[in-house]
Amino acid sequence: MQRKRQALILLCLCVLGLAPGCWDSRELNELAITVGLGLDKSGDNVKVTTQIVNPGEVASKQGNQGNRMPFTTISSTEQTVIEALRKQTIILPRAVFTSHLRILVIGEELARDGILKVMDGLSRNREMRSDFYIIVARDAEAEDILATLTPMERISAYKMFKTLEMSAEEWAPTVDVEMDQLLHDLANPLKDTVLAGMVIEGNKEVGSEAHNLDRSKPFTSLVFSGLALFRDDKLVDWLNSQESKGYNYIMNNVDTTAGHLACPDGDGFIAMEVTHAKSSINGSVDQEGEPFIDLSFQLEENVGEAQCEMDLSDTASLERLERVATRQLEEIVRQTIAKAQRNKADIFGFGERIEDAAPREWLRLKDDWRERFAKLKVNIEVDLKVRRIGTTINPLSDRKE
Amino acid sequence: MLDKGRIGLHQLTVLAILFTVGSSVLIAPSSLAYEAREDAWIAALLALVVGLLAVGLYNGLARLFPSATLVGMARLSLGRWLGGAVSWLYLGYFFMLSALVLRNIGDFMTTQVLPKTPIQFIHIFFLLVVVAGIRNGLEPFARAAEIFLPWVMLFFVTMVVLLPPEFHIENLQPVLGYGIKPVLRGTISLFSTPYTEVVLFLMIIPLVRKRDRSGKALLTGVLIGGLMLAIIALLSILVLGADLATKQAFPSYSLAKKISIGDFLERLEVVMAGIWFITIYFKLGLCFYASTMILGELTGASDVKPFYLPLGLSLLALSIVIYPNFAYFVTFASRVDFLYSLPFALGFPLLFWIGWLIRGRLG
Repeated sequence: MQRKRQALILLCLCVLGLAPGCWDSRELNELAITVGLGLDKSGDNVKVTTQIVNPGEVASKQGNQGNRMPFTTISSTEQTVIEALRKQTIILPRAVFTSHLRILVIGEELARDGILKVMDGLSRNREMRSDFYIIVARDAEAEDILATLTPMERISAYKMFKTLEMSAEEWAPTVDVEMDQLLHDLANPLKDTVLAGMVIEGNKEVGSEAHNLDRSKPFTSLVFSGLALFRDDKLVDWLNSQESKGYNYIMNNVDTTAGHLACPDGDGFIAMEVTHAKSSINGSVDQEGEPFIDLSFQLEENVGEAQCEMDLSDTASLERLERVATRQLEEIVRQTIAKAQRNKADIFGFGERIEDAAPREWLRLKDDWRERFAKLKVNIEVDLKVRRIGTTINPLSDRKE
Repeated sequence: MLDKGRIGLHQLTVLAILFTVGSSVLIAPSSLAYEAREDAWIAALLALVVGLLAVGLYNGLARLFPSATLVGMARLSLGRWLGGAVSWLYLGYFFMLSALVLRNIGDFMTTQVLPKTPIQFIHIFFLLVVVAGIRNGLEPFARAAEIFLPWVMLFFVTMVVLLPPEFHIENLQPVLGYGIKPVLRGTISLFSTPYTEVVLFLMIIPLVRKRDRSGKALLTGVLIGGLMLAIIALLSILVLGADLATKQAFPSYSLAKKISIGDFLERLEVVMAGIWFITIYFKLGLCFYASTMILGELTGASDVKPFYLPLGLSLLALSIVIYPNFAYFVTFASRVDFLYSLPFALGFPLLFWIGWLIRGRLG
């Protein structure tokens, strides 16, 4: 009898455990896997655009069956980001799931207005991870960027993610900023930030239609272009591709890249492949209490392409190339710093370096840091070596009999 | 002695490690970074030193009152009534601590992992396992701790080994740039949790078999646990930086999210959460055990088993009402906890010592 009762109680407990169901169970077919997220200004509200993977289309091995799209973009407008995300369920049969987010696009108008407000909701969100990149839609709305169909990678958010990763590695003028880094910069009132910019080349209406991909050269494409320069949380200016490269040289982000120099004599250009680039930033304060920055660069380059007559087998001409390249690097770096100083935006974190070196002085300096940054003295030191000249010795144009 | 079980020196060390790491591994880096900024790890090491001094005090007490628990010590040194009153206060202290620890895991789960699950159910299921583990006394509990410690260490080492690609050495600068004051404030915040709570081991030491060497075993345990906390603080600063570590509610969880090796070894955070599931389990178990043992000794019961159900149910209720929201807990942990814990960690133990001296003089 006793045993029976015990068994009964145990059974009741088991049923009790099952009866309420699983509060947090979420089946795969209830989720709208969101890989791209766009934020735009819409009056006083924020327009949130999600790029959602169409599950059947991506999984099918046969590729594009019929004319269905690989992803869908949905927009909704609300006062806050979180509301807008939830509101999308009035359009979608599934709930937006953002853990697999690859890219966050911020519309230029919103960026100029300030992004601090909209970022809070995202950093507080439990579903959101921090391993996606953040970019700015240049002269465009984030919505249009996310709606554009792209070749090679069918999901355009993946395309943007990979393009950014690849171009940051091979071609210096882009930056891959992740959520954590952006939050880190936003949290510090005296450190400003940059984000990669993206433009739509071609007609944006066509870009979202299936026939955008009907020819080998798409009508509309997404292209990274320049860096958005933020002061505090507001976009104030754009760095062009030279300055973007300068920014990456300063920040030690350059892995490999290529650049050109004018030929020392005659027309044409010489392309230099940068194989190794390293920079270091040191801040300090001089005797008068004025802060200054020492920038030093170490580069190794190869000759990649020589369009002019030049004896590359001669050490002297390589040394001449080194001098030209050094001067050019200095110029690019100066130009970049000048632009940041004009905008009073410490995108390099020079303030942090001075704080590292002289924390007590920093307490005095930080009150009018923006003004000081605009006039900050920066010493540049370049150690540049041209090492190799590729698989041929003298240029093809060197056609002496 | 109420508990007939006995534990070995090694088991005492294991329990001390798990207790020290406890819930602090989840919460401490945030408040450390808030106070000490880049020097959070220095503050953690300082707190460890202070904590070890406190452990020295408890070891001294344990030698003065051989085979007496906290209740016994209080009664022997302060007399039956005053000692009894102090013991009741300790009961409240440990019971509140149990509720706070239980709520920590509930808050973590509902914020990060299971947002729609009612917090009560997380508490119920967690506490059920704790009571099941502790109801047969300390001895089987300590054996379980021995089985689980290697897993904690495995996860911990995994985290330490996989994170270096995310390190930013410059986050550590400036070292001691703003003087020692902020570091000391950080030290205080870490000292109040978990080091003041180590006083709980005065309930455990009487059960150790070779009591003459228990001091060293306890010291080793707290030392290892404290070093793990300091390493977590260091990792948080290196990976997240002082700003983000301050802003995160659970920095070590965000830390685990950052692990990404070659695009395939990632999203390990819930595996990493295994560390604190285990450590919090043992911390909660010890707190709950201490509460029931004190109650048993105070009421002169011959067996504590009847206490588990009523105490467990009260703990469930208390853990829900103990603080109304997360902001309240943050304020408590950073401002109130130190002053609140100080009498229990240092005040009363010193009083016991003085009481013992006076009694020695008189009798």
